[in-house]
Amino acid sequence: MSFPEYLTYQWDDLLELAVGNMVVVLIALAIATFIGVSLGVLTYRRPAAAQVALAIASTILTIPSFALFGIAIGIGLGLGYPPTIVVLTGYAILAILRNTITGLRSVDPAIIESAKGMGMSNWQQLVRIEMPMAWPVIIAGVRVSALLILGISAIAAYVGGPGFGSEIFEGLSTLGGVNSLNLVLSGMLGVIVLALVFEVLFAILGRFTTSKGLN
Amino acid sequence: MSEVTEHLSERGIAIRLEKLSKTFPGQDEPAVKELSMDIFEGEIVVYVGPSGCGKTTTMKMINRIIEPSSGRIFIADEDVTDKDPDELRRHIGYVIQQIGLFPHMTIADNIATVPKMLGWDKQRISKRTDELLETVSIPNSYRNRYPKELSGGQRQRIGVARAMAADPPIMLMDEPFGAVDPITRERLQDEFLRLQQEIQKTIVFVTHDIDEAIKMGDRIAILRDQSEIAQYDTPETILTDPADQYVEDFIGSGASLKRLSLSKVEDIKTAEWPVAHLDDSHDDVREKMEESGREYVLLLDERDKPKRWVNREDIEQGISLKEAGWPAVAIVERHSSLYDTLDTMITSYRGSAIVVDENDGKYKGVVDFETVLAAIEEMRPQEGAVAPDFIAEREDLPS
Amino acid sequence: MSVETREAPRQEETPESPQQQPGGKSGGRSAASLGWTLARYLTMPVFLTLVCLSLYLVISSRPLDSIEKRTLNGPYIIHTVVRHLEISAVATVLVVLISVTAGVILTRPMMRRTAPYIVGVASTGQALPSIGVIVLIAVLTGQFGFKIAVVSLIIYAFLPILRNTMVGIQQVDQSIIEAGRGMGMTNAAVLFRIELPLAIPIMLAGIRTALIIVVGTAALATFINAGGMGDIINTGIKLSRDSILLTGSILTAVLALGVDYIAGIAEDVLKPKGL
Repeated sequence: MSFPEYLTYQWDDLLELAVGNMVVVLIALAIATFIGVSLGVLTYRRPAAAQVALAIASTILTIPSFALFGIAIGIGLGLGYPPTIVVLTGYAILAILRNTITGLRSVDPAIIESAKGMGMSNWQQLVRIEMPMAWPVIIAGVRVSALLILGISAIAAYVGGPGFGSEIFEGLSTLGGVNSLNLVLSGMLGVIVLALVFEVLFAILGRFTTSKGLN
Repeated sequence: MSEVTEHLSERGIAIRLEKLSKTFPGQDEPAVKELSMDIFEGEIVVYVGPSGCGKTTTMKMINRIIEPSSGRIFIADEDVTDKDPDELRRHIGYVIQQIGLFPHMTIADNIATVPKMLGWDKQRISKRTDELLETVSIPNSYRNRYPKELSGGQRQRIGVARAMAADPPIMLMDEPFGAVDPITRERLQDEFLRLQQEIQKTIVFVTHDIDEAIKMGDRIAILRDQSEIAQYDTPETILTDPADQYVEDFIGSGASLKRLSLSKVEDIKTAEWPVAHLDDSHDDVREKMEESGREYVLLLDERDKPKRWVNREDIEQGISLKEAGWPAVAIVERHSSLYDTLDTMITSYRGSAIVVDENDGKYKGVVDFETVLAAIEEMRPQEGAVAPDFIAEREDLPS
Repeated sequence: MSVETREAPRQEETPESPQQQPGGKSGGRSAASLGWTLARYLTMPVFLTLVCLSLYLVISSRPLDSIEKRTLNGPYIIHTVVRHLEISAVATVLVVLISVTAGVILTRPMMRRTAPYIVGVASTGQALPSIGVIVLIAVLTGQFGFKIAVVSLIIYAFLPILRNTMVGIQQVDQSIIEAGRGMGMTNAAVLFRIELPLAIPIMLAGIRTALIIVVGTAALATFINAGGMGDIINTGIKLSRDSILLTGSILTAVLALGVDYIAGIAEDVLKPKGL
């Protein structure tokens, strides 16, 4: 059948895959944001610690995802959701961590000094001044990570994880068959659509949570 | 300013610094070496000195943005050297050169920062914000604007308003008017001085500009390297009696001229010049001229405003007084500084200036170079700096 | 599949201490910073060597069954690694040539208006799954093997390298270009004597990124029978042998990290001084 026919035929299955894909990416993103921002807050004033954290995160990023999945499974995480979430989280941390550190460090020292001079404690400075001002940069980092792990999530299907990867792998295994191209295309299209959805979501999120005075 | 100084020593000591020192890690020499000074309530003390002398460091030790290496700080007789710094700073106003307004907050939120930390309720904060906006001449409609929408001068004013929000008794200001153009700066300085007359806060002000220090300070501390005090006194005293060569060099040439900007023309004795009215007869005018022994007579109109100068020739020629001689243009108001008066006199025809009342323009007197120089000499009793031949000339002036 | 170190994952900057103390720093820093530099350069190779050693010790300490013996032996592993590197090298060279050329073309003044859109598409295109590209090409052409793998890798790595190149060229200070023009340099001269040399640091980073992406994605070449380290990992999964799985995965990781490390040294060495 043709590709559009295939899409209409498989509509609900594809939707299910979309949901599964979204869920696993969002979970990993949430955990990675928590870890990345926390580490960023803890290390942005300590250059040595920051360097170590960044080095570790970027080392993870250099490891090919297929290999990292393999390691995750090999050390006993099994198949399906657990290794998928662990791997995706690992990859998502770097961009978030790095942007948190850069964003926090880029706040004009004069502003911090006047906050300090007004008697704000370190915590108050962080929460009321530095974080709100670093926020746009942090969101940019989360967005980069989101797109990144969205692409990686396709591999997860091979090891039992959810998402459009299963369409792609099915297309591979039925190579030569009638639907194999449709399968692969629908898998790719699904990921692209999700990517666009993320772009829109982040644009809205950024607009709503960033102070008007910062544009 | 001189009247204020006498009363100052009767007030309490707002800030006392005792042997304050600061050595930064990795440096051999201290940036500030055992500085001790007292600052009275309600006075503006200005720290001036060359770059790197430690004046900003010293100021920042008062609210412990920079922690002293040794020494003690007393605020209103309380030793605050070891007190909780955040708590300390909430009661000290702090204005820095780059202002540091929070860009992600509205003007109103910026101003409300310290009051909120101190737990004021919303109504009180709102009322205070209104007051402050009015005080610094920013329209109330700007409350919800963001710093990026304001001009440099406006931001500076908001910075000051924010520092005053919780009505702290002490304010620290580090080159607060430095980041704007000279015209705006002068305006801000004038406004601030007017403000201080009402609020009478204790202010420590850092600048590298000696002229600003002279204008703003009740007392000035001229600092050497390591914040060693070269002289700590009123501007008048520093200008007329510099403690040493360093201070003299710092003031620069023109110390006497600077001194002139501190006195008003109404403070000095005027010279005796004959005056008449436009509707007097020529004979009356001639009589007055001969009586005085002067060569010129000043003619006033019916409201006693100075109008024209006439000399003997003009009167002999019999021209109508309204057109005789030449118009009187070198006119200064009573409150003008001697400096501005001298400026006017230099460009006048005969080296004199007519003093009038600032409200109705009525003639008050005439000053000329002799009277101004006499006034200067009075300010420098120790110097016998006046040239002998000049003294001789003065002998024939009526006292 | 490789990780999309689509933006250079390295943190090149040495983080600076945000609270600066006024006044000079004393001279005693050089010994400490030398120590730091050594640490930075030696950490990775030492780490990788330790990992390989431990892996070797663990594997050789256990008896291997027949299946494992077929995979976990020296010659086979070396053969696989070589194959992996072959695919990667060819793909990298080609994709760098194509991307850089395209990047230069797309940053010429006449393309100025379309350039941002392309950069935007390239950024969103980061989400394209590498496995998707590989399988798609295979399905479309109906072919498997070395050549197809190389083609897929080139297509996959093209967009991110393109983006890096464009950004790198665009960030060259316009006033320098203007100075060159003002001196009477032709467009070509400005390009080759000013823009490209100044864009070299970013381009080096881009090449390094290309290398990582390609080396990593080449692990997926196994799915189209092109060989490479993915073979070992896949064998481990299909046959449920953790020993094979872990060996394959760890060695692939070590390979990628090693290549990245060497590329980093090359980048440092090749970077023009004065920049």
